[in-house]
Amino acid sequence: MKSSLEVRIGSLTLRNPVLVASGIIGYGAEYEPLVDLSAIGGIVTKTVTRHPRAGNPPPRVVEVPAGMLNSIGIENPGLEGFLDTKVSILRELPCAVIVSVEGEDTREFCELVEGISQSGVADAIEVNISCPNVGPHGLKYSTDAGLAREVMTAIRPLTRLPLIAKLTPNVTRIAEIAEACAECGADAVSLVNTFIGMAVDSRTHRPILGTVLGGLSGPAIKPLALAKTWEVAQAVDIPVVGMGGIARPADAVEFLLTGATAIQVGTALFADPTLAERCVEGIEQHLKTIGESSIDALIGALEVPEGRGVIRAGRPVRPAERRGRA
Amino acid sequence: MMKLVPCKVVENREVSPGNFLLALTVPRAFPAPSPGQFVHLRISEEGDPLLRRPYSLEGFVSKGRIRAVRIYYSVVGRGSRILASQAPGRFLDLIGPLGVGFKPRPRRLPILVAGGRGVAPLLFLSRFLREKKRPYVFLFGARSRRELYGVREVRGGRLHLATDDGSVGYHGSVLDLLKREWADGKHTPLSTEIFTCGPHGLLQEVAEFARAGGIRCEASLEGPMACAVGACRGCPVPLGHGAKNGRYPAMCVEGPVMDATIVDWERLP
Repeated sequence: MKSSLEVRIGSLTLRNPVLVASGIIGYGAEYEPLVDLSAIGGIVTKTVTRHPRAGNPPPRVVEVPAGMLNSIGIENPGLEGFLDTKVSILRELPCAVIVSVEGEDTREFCELVEGISQSGVADAIEVNISCPNVGPHGLKYSTDAGLAREVMTAIRPLTRLPLIAKLTPNVTRIAEIAEACAECGADAVSLVNTFIGMAVDSRTHRPILGTVLGGLSGPAIKPLALAKTWEVAQAVDIPVVGMGGIARPADAVEFLLTGATAIQVGTALFADPTLAERCVEGIEQHLKTIGESSIDALIGALEVPEGRGVIRAGRPVRPAERRGRA
Repeated sequence: MMKLVPCKVVENREVSPGNFLLALTVPRAFPAPSPGQFVHLRISEEGDPLLRRPYSLEGFVSKGRIRAVRIYYSVVGRGSRILASQAPGRFLDLIGPLGVGFKPRPRRLPILVAGGRGVAPLLFLSRFLREKKRPYVFLFGARSRRELYGVREVRGGRLHLATDDGSVGYHGSVLDLLKREWADGKHTPLSTEIFTCGPHGLLQEVAEFARAGGIRCEASLEGPMACAVGACRGCPVPLGHGAKNGRYPAMCVEGPVMDATIVDWERLP
């Protein structure tokens, strides 16, 4: 029997839970000869901002142990440029297209959501309220539950498309931000965006990145990302899209077990462009191995042995109890 | 069209201390690259180093059933150190051919200016020019005699050498050789063009010389890349000197060979 890998994000049905994260494969065309998009669930586009952005000064990327720091700064053609030059390509892609948007303020978020929604090109919108590389507004809406509420409340009435709020891990309690988004109409949350990091050159006494600080991604952050995914999946009823350091199919399975309904592959795809396809195959194979036919058997199926609780701030939380409340 | 292909190490030889020649066989489906293009090589399947490394090609061999790319590289860090340990017989994979190569114009005398391991793409270019039976000038500077890799390959062109230690050829910078070429008035900006690759400092000096003389000049740039296919925007090239600012071309798809006279070398890392 062929297993069902179908998952739902709000009104969007994905044929399988494997997506490529924003900022990894541009607007789909760049990687077309290398990635078989017909095999994966979908892609999240490079983030579109209201106005064109040139991006940050170089260097923008540096490899660090098991990871990569970047400070790209959302180089993109802006909303009008996106509608003029990218939509026709995206329409032809044989997978779901989730368009990522980032605004400097609530009004820009509204204009972006309306513009993307009207273009008809998107199957869903990822609301990027968590970019660490564009100045103070980048993290504003995902480090303050009140501001997250403000932006989600403003954009929710403007579209019928599923809205996925992308969250930063650079907070003390990410569940609080996720709950705020869920309460204000988000259909899903995706996490994690990159962790703020920096690299220093001891010979020159200078920072390596052009912007001093950047965002850390890659296998180095997987344990951190799994913990955040777990925390959020315990707290909200809407689907969680998990990501952070997925570099092999087993990593994807780990995120599903932790409570993610779908996953995104990112940095490691630069090394292996077939990674997303391999994750689909790997999940299918894993289901076969455990004798299950549906992906539902994996999502949130982490088995926490009796007596092993989660200790946070000196207070034990029993996962079963939390889930029962939902 | 670029492809992701498996490749097999057939040669990985230290030709001078710290400098290696790597030959990798590629499947027949791999498109023939042009001089100045590069490949994005996966050095380890174990995820360490995590990212691929971009290497410009020293040459391309297509003989009978053999198809191979050649890379001339130096051990400068973790990635190249691990690459140097890959023995013949090992399988790696690469994405390529990538980027924009050199664009020699008809009826101009190409002057190739190489510094150190930057000689690699210029050797590829010199072979291309020889096949086209075009004359060219090859100026090659290195720290010492033993780093003058590939000089015997330069045929069909006029070769001048420079070394920092004076062990062979002119004792000094290859930039002096370039200036000397112009000293006797046999070249004009319309009759020549410069193709250069080498350390940042040399490229900047050659670019300034070309700009001052109104000479067309293309340089092959080097820098860190993540995707190498124009998607991630991680390899911006800063422009200056009247070129449109407020936009960063991506080195991987609009380069690595670019008009050297509009690059803002001060801001290029």
